[in-house]
Amino acid sequence: MLNPYIPMPVEVIKIVTEVDTKDIKTFRLAFVNREDEANFQYLPGQFAELSIFGKGEVPIGIASSPTQPGYLEFTVQKAGVVTSTLHDLEVGTHIGVRGSMGNSWPIDYLEGKNIVVVGGGFAFTTLRSLIVYMIHEDNRSRFGNITVVYGARTPGLLIYKDELAAWEARDDINLHVTVDKGDESWKGREGFVPTVCKEVAPSSENAVTVICGPPIMIRFTLPVFFDLGFSKENIITSLEMRMKCGIGKCGRCNVGNKYVCKDGPVFSLAELDKLTKEY
Amino acid sequence: MEKRVLKKDKLAAIIKNVSRDMLVYAPVKEEDNVLFMALKEGREPLLNFSNSRNAPKTFFFPRTEIMMKYTRTGKGMELSKGEGEVRETALFGVRPCDARSFALLDKLFDQDKYKDPYYIARREKTTVISMACAHPPYSTCFCTSVDGSPTSGEGADILLTDMGDNYLVEFITPRGEKLLKYFGDLPKAGEAEETLKKEIAERAEKEIRSHIPAKDIKPILDNNFEHPFWETIHRKCLACGTCTYLCPTCHCFDISDEAKGNDGIRIRNWDSCMYPLFTLETSGHNPRPTQKERWRQRVMHKFKYYVDNFGAISCVGCGRCVMYCPVNLDIRKIVEDIAKL
Repeated sequence: MLNPYIPMPVEVIKIVTEVDTKDIKTFRLAFVNREDEANFQYLPGQFAELSIFGKGEVPIGIASSPTQPGYLEFTVQKAGVVTSTLHDLEVGTHIGVRGSMGNSWPIDYLEGKNIVVVGGGFAFTTLRSLIVYMIHEDNRSRFGNITVVYGARTPGLLIYKDELAAWEARDDINLHVTVDKGDESWKGREGFVPTVCKEVAPSSENAVTVICGPPIMIRFTLPVFFDLGFSKENIITSLEMRMKCGIGKCGRCNVGNKYVCKDGPVFSLAELDKLTKEY
Repeated sequence: MEKRVLKKDKLAAIIKNVSRDMLVYAPVKEEDNVLFMALKEGREPLLNFSNSRNAPKTFFFPRTEIMMKYTRTGKGMELSKGEGEVRETALFGVRPCDARSFALLDKLFDQDKYKDPYYIARREKTTVISMACAHPPYSTCFCTSVDGSPTSGEGADILLTDMGDNYLVEFITPRGEKLLKYFGDLPKAGEAEETLKKEIAERAEKEIRSHIPAKDIKPILDNNFEHPFWETIHRKCLACGTCTYLCPTCHCFDISDEAKGNDGIRIRNWDSCMYPLFTLETSGHNPRPTQKERWRQRVMHKFKYYVDNFGAISCVGCGRCVMYCPVNLDIRKIVEDIAKL
């Protein structure tokens, strides 16, 4: 029996410091064993447990896309013991990864529809995975128009800056990057994510919106999409809870009878409406 | 299913013989308590006992268990399996409520997709020998309210029923039948024993004094997550976690690392939904910020969520949480109160 609690060894092959405050970094990890890589199947929206031996594990959303074989990427904010240790690591170190875990953004449901991706702060990571997946040449024709609204508090807090520039240059993706407050060098848009969504006003016709960000952003963004005519089935988001085992056994991440680690983290608003508001 | 009749005075010797070939845990007297302990040379298993203080789930899901070991090697890590091979084991003298808890825990730890290899490895190597409650031992017993019975063999491989001078020995599963050889050439049980067992079962059920409307509260819990009732039940709770640690069906755990130099272990320990830190997130947000939410979770998990997910109440009516709560919080009273909402 495959032991789902035992991490697979991975080598840190690249570290990118994403933000000016230096407390968000993206780690590129390569599997030490080839068979582990073959076993690690995933879709955008899933997460994995990163494992630092002697410190513990931490559940992090997968930022890379399955269309990017050979490695996994995780964008991690420095917060607790494990993530702080991770931030001090150097390229070449071996750590562990356990997964993939949870459900994913509902790719089958998104297929054939216009997609509106809304992200705020560093919660953009699994949305980045979804975007990379959708605009890959093998997949682009499976989805309609792709609109992305992504915001951070300041220009220095935007993550994946190179990639944002590359997407900006493409004509098959409609990108709107915004910051709450700009600086002298900022030439882009200023304004909160909900306001920008209102201005962009994507049509709800055959469209699904996928939202991920701080709770306050989500709270003010939802009414905008209701006004645009999006149904609760077509507003999809991802929950965060404290998770440990990742396979619905250890008992701490349930919302009602659903375990966020196993039945989530992705839920539509229609599904969330059926659950208790304990998150 | 093989059913045999065993003279009572032969049982202790049989258990001793089994313990020569495999590890046997049995209820033994330890100071003022009855505890399941390894049957070592010179230690007699109790044949007349009420129930053990500790729930025997600990043999499949120990309080502390090493999940893996590792050694740092340059930039890498060498991983090794947690503990040694799981030994062939027999659990003797498990009460029907506790044996049922194994059947309930199987639903969680042995799901189609998500299996717990540690639990399953022990479960597969263990024979459960149950001892029916011909006379239910405590006033706090309420197994019949939660789909159990004092003479049920659910979760057991062998069930013994005290019939006066003899035991009726029912070999319920193929695993149980493997132990037939230790029982020797026993007479097969006939119609007379069947009738007697039925009488004992009926009488034992009648002797259960505690009845609660456990099966009636699920539809109420479905609709009353925000009911003011939840403000009241937790007030005297000390968050000590005794109820969850003694519970045969509670299964929450924590995972943590311990390291010394280049060597380390990853262990799991029992945890409890009664504890404030259980759901505290790194951000400082806690979805269950007070004992109100934690008690609601405990009741909901046992009487609603487990029913939603596995079709069974996650309580076997052993009464341990009632007996040992330091402030006399009584789950039976809570269920009764919910039924009146």
